[in-house]
Amino acid sequence: MQVYSIPKSIKENSKFTFCKGCDHGVAIKIIAEIIDELNLRENTIAISSSGCSVLLYNFLDVDCLEAPHGRACAVATGVKRAHRAKKDEKFVFTYQGDGDFASIGLSESMHSALRGENITAICINNTNYGMTGGQMGPTSTMGQLTTTSPLGRNKEYHGFPIKTAEQIALCEGTQFSARVALYDVKNILNAKKIIKKAFECQLNNKGFSFVEILSSCPTNWKLSPQDSHKKIAEELTKIYPLDIFKDTTND
Amino acid sequence: MNEKNLLKGNIAIAKAALECGCSCYFGYPITPQTDIGEYLSLEMQKRNLAYVCAESEIGAINMALGAASSGEKVMTSSSSCAVALMQETLSYAASDELPIVLVNVMRAGPGQGYIFPSQGDYNQATIGGGNGDYKTIVLSPSSIQECIDLTYKSFHLAQKYKNPTILLVDGLLGQMAEPAIITENPYPEIDNSNWRLDGAKNRTSRKIHSLEPNQNKLNKHILKLYQKYQIIEQNEPDWEEYLCNDAEIILTAFGTMARSVKAVCNFFREKGIKMGVYRPITLYPFPYKRLRELSINAKHIIDIEMNMGQMLRDVRLSVLSNSQISFIGKPVGDWLKKEEIINTINTIIKEQYASI
Repeated sequence: MQVYSIPKSIKENSKFTFCKGCDHGVAIKIIAEIIDELNLRENTIAISSSGCSVLLYNFLDVDCLEAPHGRACAVATGVKRAHRAKKDEKFVFTYQGDGDFASIGLSESMHSALRGENITAICINNTNYGMTGGQMGPTSTMGQLTTTSPLGRNKEYHGFPIKTAEQIALCEGTQFSARVALYDVKNILNAKKIIKKAFECQLNNKGFSFVEILSSCPTNWKLSPQDSHKKIAEELTKIYPLDIFKDTTND
Repeated sequence: MNEKNLLKGNIAIAKAALECGCSCYFGYPITPQTDIGEYLSLEMQKRNLAYVCAESEIGAINMALGAASSGEKVMTSSSSCAVALMQETLSYAASDELPIVLVNVMRAGPGQGYIFPSQGDYNQATIGGGNGDYKTIVLSPSSIQECIDLTYKSFHLAQKYKNPTILLVDGLLGQMAEPAIITENPYPEIDNSNWRLDGAKNRTSRKIHSLEPNQNKLNKHILKLYQKYQIIEQNEPDWEEYLCNDAEIILTAFGTMARSVKAVCNFFREKGIKMGVYRPITLYPFPYKRLRELSINAKHIIDIEMNMGQMLRDVRLSVLSNSQISFIGKPVGDWLKKEEIINTINTIIKEQYASI
């Protein structure tokens, strides 16, 4: 009896090249499972971005386009609209980090949400710039030690972090906005359910859907994979609560 | 169709884009090109085509990047300082080999400058402000009819070479009107089924990206781009020659400036001076070879531009060292008048060629 198989939408013989204990691999795997379950593989165009999330196209076996840093939602808008112009609707989603989505790309991200662009954005929030070695990002928490906040993030000196899923939920064009985590099996299964719902929001032509995924970054957090997940469960979820902040999909 | 109408340059470009099947336009307002986007907003909505009032020029050019990956014909338009904002994505589009048509109707001066006429973006367009080794094709119209013809050609070359292509238009030309015909697009459709992203149905999945962590692969990729640029440089240089065959003095100018320069040339021809005008139509690839040939018999080249001498560099690169090269220019504002140019040329001639 086969109890587990690699999703069809993961490229054959691919091995995740992320750091040990990084949640990117889990996130991409559940996205691939959802693509399989919704039978979207042949109809999907994924937009990867800059930072660790760019590597999506090495693993996910769908057509992929890489966006310049921060511009994934604008690029996705162009992809979605172009196919619609030739009456050939495609499923289009972005895969971005928190720096990409909520710092350099906040304008493109928020305006896509405000327009109610019928795309899905997935944002991996690991509270730092991972690929460049752990600098302070828009989501770094108060007191967090990073290579550019060596004494800890301080509200007077550095200012406040952004609660992305809550902010995106405020946009009129947003139809679905949620935050999930991947620190244990229960949460992984829940994340899959939520991301599937976001994908279905687009499939039903509802408008902009967004899922923020609290993810581990053991390398830059200088923690073991286990302690990284513990940090998410015990600390980060208190600052960034796991919830659905907007859901009009049943309206 | 095929009827002569009084057309404004910007509207002519917009009509030509629709005529040749542009299905996606993304833009942000900036004078003096805004009426391109205004015109297309209604026409594209009526046809259920893709039109987005983007949040910024950065948004617009990135929407264009995404849309171009579908194989559809894609256009954005903007002006000078806002085209500066788009440079990063032009570099991506060149590396990704995505066909974007960008219309730059030029403003004047560095920074915000103003909306006076000027030709100050020659360097921005031909050299480019993006990172790394890449080229964009650049076409320069001189009349409203050519705005139409070169819009068709921009889409054609962009698709043919899978390369971003800039239509570099003088603000003067964008805003003025003259009789022109919306002809039929003369170019064939280019098959893009072997590279476009439209879902991995009955084929392996494709990825379009510029990130390449393997240096051998990245070198190979850039060398491949440069092989393509070499073909473009061989096949696509385009120019207009006016009375050049026996010319001892050749005036060089691009865009609308070439029109006043032709009048200057006529004036000197009537005086018996063997003068001609050489007008590059493709600014990249610059038509070096023919200008070099003509310069063998010419005693003097005088480059005339509404900037501080940007095309002058390419003119210098074309011309053999025994030819004298002078420059007449002005950065912004009222177009150089025929009389002003004639007076300056007279001074140059008196100083150097009392015998002519």
